[in-house]
Amino acid sequence: MAGYILRRLVSTIAVMAVVGIFIFLLLRLAPGDPAAMIAGKEATAEMIAGIREQLGLNAPLPVQFARWAGDMLRGDFGTSIFAGRPVLELIAQRLEPTVSLALMTMLLSVTVGVSFGILAAWRAGRLVDRLLTAFSALGYSVPVFVIGYFLIYLFAIKTHWLPVQGYVPIDAGLGHWFVHLILPTVTLSLGYIAFIARVTRTSMLEVLSEDYMRTAAAKGASSYAMLFHHALKNAGIPILTVIGISFAYLIGGVVLTETVFNIPGIGRLVVDAINNRDYPIIQSVIILTSGLYVLINLAIDLAYTLVDPRVRY
Amino acid sequence: MTISRREVLKAGVATGTVLAIPSVLRAQKAPTDARTVRMVKVGGLTVFDPVVTTANITQDHATAIYDTLFSLDSKFVPQPQMVGKWGVSDDKKTYTFELRDGLGWHDGRPVTAADCVASIRRSFEAGGPGQLMMAQGADISKKDDKTFTIALREPLGVLTLMLSQYRYIMREKDADRPATEAVTTNIGSGPFRFNQSLAKPGASFAYDRNEKYVPRSEPSDGLAGAKIVNVDRVVWNNIGDQQTALAALHAGEIDYFEGPPPDLFADIESDPNLALEVLDKSGQDYFLRMNCLQKPFDSVKARQAVLHLVDQEAFLSVISPDPKYSSTVNSFFGSGNPVSNDENTGWFKKGGDPEKAKQLFAEAGYAGEKVVILDPTDWREADNASQLLAVALQKIGVNAEVAPSDWGGLVARRNKKGPVEDGGWSIFITSESDYSRGDPITDSTLSMNGEKGWYGWPKSDEYEALRAKWANVDTAERKALARKMQQIAWNLAGTVLLGRVISPIARRMTLTGLIGMPEVVPMWNMRKASA
Repeated sequence: MAGYILRRLVSTIAVMAVVGIFIFLLLRLAPGDPAAMIAGKEATAEMIAGIREQLGLNAPLPVQFARWAGDMLRGDFGTSIFAGRPVLELIAQRLEPTVSLALMTMLLSVTVGVSFGILAAWRAGRLVDRLLTAFSALGYSVPVFVIGYFLIYLFAIKTHWLPVQGYVPIDAGLGHWFVHLILPTVTLSLGYIAFIARVTRTSMLEVLSEDYMRTAAAKGASSYAMLFHHALKNAGIPILTVIGISFAYLIGGVVLTETVFNIPGIGRLVVDAINNRDYPIIQSVIILTSGLYVLINLAIDLAYTLVDPRVRY
Repeated sequence: MTISRREVLKAGVATGTVLAIPSVLRAQKAPTDARTVRMVKVGGLTVFDPVVTTANITQDHATAIYDTLFSLDSKFVPQPQMVGKWGVSDDKKTYTFELRDGLGWHDGRPVTAADCVASIRRSFEAGGPGQLMMAQGADISKKDDKTFTIALREPLGVLTLMLSQYRYIMREKDADRPATEAVTTNIGSGPFRFNQSLAKPGASFAYDRNEKYVPRSEPSDGLAGAKIVNVDRVVWNNIGDQQTALAALHAGEIDYFEGPPPDLFADIESDPNLALEVLDKSGQDYFLRMNCLQKPFDSVKARQAVLHLVDQEAFLSVISPDPKYSSTVNSFFGSGNPVSNDENTGWFKKGGDPEKAKQLFAEAGYAGEKVVILDPTDWREADNASQLLAVALQKIGVNAEVAPSDWGGLVARRNKKGPVEDGGWSIFITSESDYSRGDPITDSTLSMNGEKGWYGWPKSDEYEALRAKWANVDTAERKALARKMQQIAWNLAGTVLLGRVISPIARRMTLTGLIGMPEVVPMWNMRKASA
């Protein structure tokens, strides 16, 4: 197992290096110029040229790459062209909102999604199954911004129960932090609940039709024991995979939700950086996210051993 | 080991108390909601130095934290601001300025003449109108701690006007660097202090009242006079989604929403707690710029064809559909300026004449060359106008196509002077303040100095000769100059105006006292009443 983990960790570095080279070239070859963005709408070509020189953007591409790669190897992720602050500091500033939203969303999605999936599988073909399937289809197909605006209208503007927008750091008070996350969490969770519920239902139905489940029923096992002790554990691998992928996706940035609820997270940081051509931020976030994806996948693979003793590394 | 319920409760209370400590401390320091104004501005503040950018939001930031030697009053006349006494020599070539008492940096040190000298030098080196002064070999020198002089080879009548237009005074150690290297310290001597500890780039910025600021004794008038701050803190929230910003305004989470889109006006007007207010009465002039170096617009006839083709009312209907907030504009110098005029406008004024446009394209020898319109899809108004222009050109047989990109892609591509086959361009659409079109010295888009000038590169030596006289003549003479320049400008037709749009801001009724000036929203003078 230790050897397996070590190999996967080494591969993470390789993945991050490949992603780094790819994103560096992609950004330089794409149209756009940070100097022009800094100088503004009415700037003259002379002003822009001066800023390009100052930022070192006139240097040949290999020289720019060598400088950047050297800095990265020393653990220096660079400084934002616009904010003039270290990129890692800006990422750290945005990490808490994104992680808070991702964790809350996963908590709600997994709890409700798995429960709905089990319930639908247990009552397959009946009214409750049809209702939950319809809910899944709805949650899956209605865009996040529609749900978001609807909830804002209902709970923030009409009733004033919850705030419209913004994020309050956890150290500013647990209550404020929680209240500001309710609407974005519910909005974001609906799609994930639907996704997890569907996968859970399918996976559970497959297991429930196995011979050993019939045997258990014949032996008089209770519904609770059949669903939670026998079926859920055996249906666990696809569910775990879905949860892991969902979590990785959430950390990667949920731009729409962050935009609708004005949450200053990683997603918005990257989108703003792309609009401004703030290369150091884009490169760093994408490299770190790729590494995180690999690590989350590793965590999922390791978690398989918990639900399926046949899995060995 | 077993844990009792009481122990769990105790641990919970202890954790809650620890978590609550920072919020309690913060609550002791933070101003109350009634003394805090929350604003949503157009775009995000990404560049902090007003010398390296022309972005309006950076001018707003600079207007809050820096001070200027002179400021424009509501009639756009420069009035002393940091300057106490000043005078000009009999030959009108040497200006002497003495700083008024009580000026201090946010770091506690006094403002000196050396700071002013370094700031003026850097600001004028940045290009634009400042180069006019530097070309005259201006000698900017400190005489003593509070006095400095500007000595010129020739008189320059617009000097105090130039010193009033966004020439912010920075500390000598900040200003002593190239004009292309951005200052990020954000330490000024203005009525607001930039709160570095609350700065979250891309998310929010906070400005605190500078308690040590000594305002002038004259009443507030435009950007001039006393800058009296009536609130403790102003927070700029960068809410990227306009629908969310409006919802936050309805709910009272923000007090001010800049540039709401026209389709939200009715919603704002329906809420008795909200108001639409026009602060910048001059508005924005939308215009298209043609590449005068490449086919087909290297031909005057082809450019004049576009002048005939454009129907401003049609363009305004896709840019700003509410006629209450838009109007046509035919003067090269904008519609609301003292030098705006109707010289040489009769022949194209009506616009929307495709037959005439078709005829002129034919006379220009147009042979089906591709016309590429740069289309910034992340700027709704310019995107709509670009699409409409493409259709209008296609209808008269021009091989026009839009090149969609974001604004970042457009500003990079518009720098290319080559043909469209080599990644060049034919037309792009943008906007600028109607007010700034009233001054061809400070507005670089009004230059016609060919490849040294602004994108599109129209060239007229005759026009440039007239422009050079602008700096040293009075208003009556400028009006006469403007007519002559406009005669040339419309014949040359490098620019075609698409109409003027006024953008009201939306605010809570509890926020009052906002100062209305073009291009900048100062934050002093405003008051917030309890809801």
